[in-house]
Amino acid sequence: MITLILLLFLGGAIVTWLGGKLSPIVGDMLFLVTIIVPAGMFFTGVTVGEVTHIHALGLTLTWGLSPLSYLFSMIVVGLGILLAIYAVPFMKGKQKTGAFYFNFTLSVMAMLGILVSKDWVSFFIFWEIMTWSSYLMVILNGKDVQRVGIKYFIFSAIGAYAMLMAMVVMNSQLGSFLMADTFNNFQHLTVGNQILIPILLLTAFGVKSAMMPLHVWAPDAYSNAPMAYTGLFSGALSKMGIYGMVLVMVTMINQLPEGTLIRDIIAWIGGFTAAAATLWAITQDDGKKLLAWSSVGQMGYIIVGVAIGTPLAMLAALFLVVVHAMFKGSLFMVVGAIEKQTGTTDFREINGLIRKMPWTFISALISVIALAGIPPLAGFVSKWMLYEALIQNNNYILVILLFFASTAGFLYCYKFLHGYFLGQEEPEWAHVKEAPVTMVVPMLLLAIGTFVLGTFPQLLFKPIDSALQYVGYDATGGHLWGQSILFSEWGDVVTLQPILYAVLAVFVFFALFLWFKGTKGTRYVSTKDISSSGELPKEWENLTFKVNFMQPFERVIEPFLKRQIDKYYTAFGNGLEALFEFTRRIYTGNGQTYAIYAILFLALLLLFRVNLFG
Amino acid sequence: MYNDKNSKKIVETIQNWARSHSVWVLAYGTGCGAIEIAPTMTSRYDAERLGFRGAATPRQADVMLITGYLTVKTVKRVVRVYEQMQSPKYVVGFGSCTINGGMYYDSYNTINLLDKYLPVDVYINGCMPRPEAVIAGLAKLQQIIREGKANGAEKYLENLDWYKANQRKIAPKWIAKAPDYNW
Amino acid sequence: MEYILIKTLEAIATFILAFIVGMTYGGVVRKITGRVHNRLGPPWYQNFIDAFKLFSKTRGIHHGAMHFLGAAFLMVTSVVSLMIIPVLAPGGHAWYNSWFTNMNFNGDLIFLLYIMTFGPLGMAMGAGQTGNPNSSIGVTRGLSQMVGFEIPWVMALVALMISYKTTSVIDFMNIQRETGTWLMFANPFAFIAAVLAMLGMFRYSPFDIVGAPTELASGPVSENGGKFLFTMMSSGSVFTFAKLVLYVDLFMGGANNLVMLVVKTFLLYMIPVLYGIVSPRYRTEQAVRWFWGWPTFIGLLAILYAVMF
Repeated sequence: MITLILLLFLGGAIVTWLGGKLSPIVGDMLFLVTIIVPAGMFFTGVTVGEVTHIHALGLTLTWGLSPLSYLFSMIVVGLGILLAIYAVPFMKGKQKTGAFYFNFTLSVMAMLGILVSKDWVSFFIFWEIMTWSSYLMVILNGKDVQRVGIKYFIFSAIGAYAMLMAMVVMNSQLGSFLMADTFNNFQHLTVGNQILIPILLLTAFGVKSAMMPLHVWAPDAYSNAPMAYTGLFSGALSKMGIYGMVLVMVTMINQLPEGTLIRDIIAWIGGFTAAAATLWAITQDDGKKLLAWSSVGQMGYIIVGVAIGTPLAMLAALFLVVVHAMFKGSLFMVVGAIEKQTGTTDFREINGLIRKMPWTFISALISVIALAGIPPLAGFVSKWMLYEALIQNNNYILVILLFFASTAGFLYCYKFLHGYFLGQEEPEWAHVKEAPVTMVVPMLLLAIGTFVLGTFPQLLFKPIDSALQYVGYDATGGHLWGQSILFSEWGDVVTLQPILYAVLAVFVFFALFLWFKGTKGTRYVSTKDISSSGELPKEWENLTFKVNFMQPFERVIEPFLKRQIDKYYTAFGNGLEALFEFTRRIYTGNGQTYAIYAILFLALLLLFRVNLFG
Repeated sequence: MYNDKNSKKIVETIQNWARSHSVWVLAYGTGCGAIEIAPTMTSRYDAERLGFRGAATPRQADVMLITGYLTVKTVKRVVRVYEQMQSPKYVVGFGSCTINGGMYYDSYNTINLLDKYLPVDVYINGCMPRPEAVIAGLAKLQQIIREGKANGAEKYLENLDWYKANQRKIAPKWIAKAPDYNW
Repeated sequence: MEYILIKTLEAIATFILAFIVGMTYGGVVRKITGRVHNRLGPPWYQNFIDAFKLFSKTRGIHHGAMHFLGAAFLMVTSVVSLMIIPVLAPGGHAWYNSWFTNMNFNGDLIFLLYIMTFGPLGMAMGAGQTGNPNSSIGVTRGLSQMVGFEIPWVMALVALMISYKTTSVIDFMNIQRETGTWLMFANPFAFIAAVLAMLGMFRYSPFDIVGAPTELASGPVSENGGKFLFTMMSSGSVFTFAKLVLYVDLFMGGANNLVMLVVKTFLLYMIPVLYGIVSPRYRTEQAVRWFWGWPTFIGLLAILYAVMF
């Protein structure tokens, strides 16, 4: 069944590409069928624990679905379907639709392949397919290929080589490519290899999940890819790194005596990623870039959770994995819809879309509240569990760091909403209409999903619980809940729920109160009719505060912003280039130069003749 | 019972009492009178003990103080600010300039009588009125609010055409461009 | 059904208490400010008159749906934090004590920290939709300042959490009752850091950079009058009371009856008020840097103290 699904994706990708050459509509239909049919088969036909063996080229590839990969594949397939529905109107009238559909389908296939792989060979093959298809997506629009594409490519290559090296070492020492074998026989390796292999693998996975020193590709790549794909890129593709990290952390590092040190280092890197990426997100003036940095930051939270590795922390991290896929998928769709309708994503150009794109605004608002981690929505549940886990694990300074990141996150959350939707309404954007229904519905569904998960978190806790049991944690049952005050019971009744209902009730009450009390004798005035010291703003006068939006805060964090790892990498690259340049000068290709070299060499020999021959 | 005439009257009496004891002032410092507002509000004369308090924007304000002469340019702004205030709202004219033009009575670019452009509730005479006079004027305003006679906003709405015509005479383009006043 | 009805009535009672106390504090603060300025100042009930006057404004304007929702968000935050913070200590036996135990058996500090930021963010949305540049500037200042004071405040709370291994406000109050020591003496650094953070939280000078009447024309509320301003004013009063009660619960052992509650909250409230009256205003970056200076250092000391002892 798994093989069939993967083959359907692969075949569908090619057929879509060919069909798109005939007529765009055929391509659209084929694309939707290609995504939805195998996805439907996945939901109905695949059972957890199913294993398939494939013999090819003298190797045995083993594919199967574990509870952990089932959790991740739900994200991939679910987000894949919604983004596919969204992508069809998004790509209408754009260039290279065929290539987009092809790479999109291939990415979904590759991610599913990674998740079902039970041996390192197929894992690596699918990993490379994923990298290549996403690389082609990043350079799809043909802008900044030199800078963005090569950066992404180099870092992916570093990750891939690290993984390949780890695979080769494991195979030469243990004689097996099977994941289960390598994990079980990990103790038989030498100490050096025991440390080397996890670090190599963590490098590979850290590149994909944009861990701090390896993150430099992420903001550019996320913002350069088409927005319909970036949802998948940030929501699902980067989670493959987390999937790998969970495997490595639990199976390998748990067996190491030095494991705690590595865990602490990774956790600190994660915390630093969260804080620094948040600060960078605040300084961005482009919605795509802002969300891209914010994705890097949220991955930092997840990495902290995975690295701490207590059951509660793992629960928080995996919960955030799912929730992040939902709200960030929705937010990238929002940016895509705005880009589609207005043609730009710069905060400084767009104003006051709230009355023109109300449904887009509602999904953006809900998703942003989830992103900020404010209570009624799902983001809070994961963040709250993460804090509890960190305090229980005595990582006090890390708690402060994450709290700082989360509070500073409000700044970019507000900047995002204010940038697109609020502010003065301009005649320039009077023509803007709400996005097509097929674009609005997926993002609304994801936003509502965060709301449902915030109110009924136990819907997600059960799959995560079985996933955690699969990777080797004790059956959590209810005891995770007992550790906290809000969630006193495992199951359908959670004490959080009455509070959330109360929040909602009070909110609705006051909204209605204000509405009824307010509309009587209250009239609507346009955003040009503001108390501007008696002045009458002209039609073309834009009074919205947009440029240098967070300037006071940026002044505070300026000393930090001066230090960029990107600059060091660039300096390193320039240094290498200079070295190569120098090397090239020696080999000029001119016979006379080589003759001079020979003579000089002889002269040197003559000079040191006494020492050499004497 | 709620719509009963007597109970409405009682509610209105309470509301008027509250309005008279909580007057948020938008001091439109047009002329020399603005200098008198500072001592009125601060320690020496302390208008806050009577319930007066500065408001930052016209949306929050109840009373607008026109402190002195009004040039044609400022009339436009004053009208705009007045229309942005939320009723019930009042206007207090400071000094002789708002009554008859004062020492600028024959100037080519100041108005002589404020009442032609905005409905003034209380005039405070003098050039300039001292803070004692200002406080006396404000107390007078409080009194007429309490009696329910400070209905400048309604007067403005009723005679909107007349006021607009007067305003249009001095600033035709501006008034044409301003948003409609219909509330 | 009856249970829910009684609970609702109790919640309303709590709300009215918070409203009255908060409004009175507002008036008293204006009176005290006046006395410090060597003038008479308004009567203590001035804020009630102001609120009633704002409520009985007959006309108003709005700039769209989010303008309404902003005020509603603000009110939700105030009400929910009031419901979750224990108003009176569980040990007290006054006959009205049971009225004020709303949802506070679940009182959780991290939940509180996050729900307390819900209102400012919603308010920021409402301010943004008005299209007034002053509002947006005020909002960015406010959010920056929040990032500033949140650090020492969280440090103080984490120090308490380390010492007593709980995040429940009720547990903290029980601990103080059992040991007989207020937490402000048990971990003095945490108290100092929390009080310094409190200066920013209550937005009196020198941290009144959000409203800044002379610079920003009252910032986020500059387009709000009448009912909107009434809602914000009452929500602000309730929220002030809720925050004060939280401080009293955490550091001063809570209060067994209403008189003690009023005395303790009033004493605490005087710290930011009196400091504010005699201070000028900081710029935003100065304020943030100030919070990341000594208050954060004292917060670190608090954590060290909690880890070591």
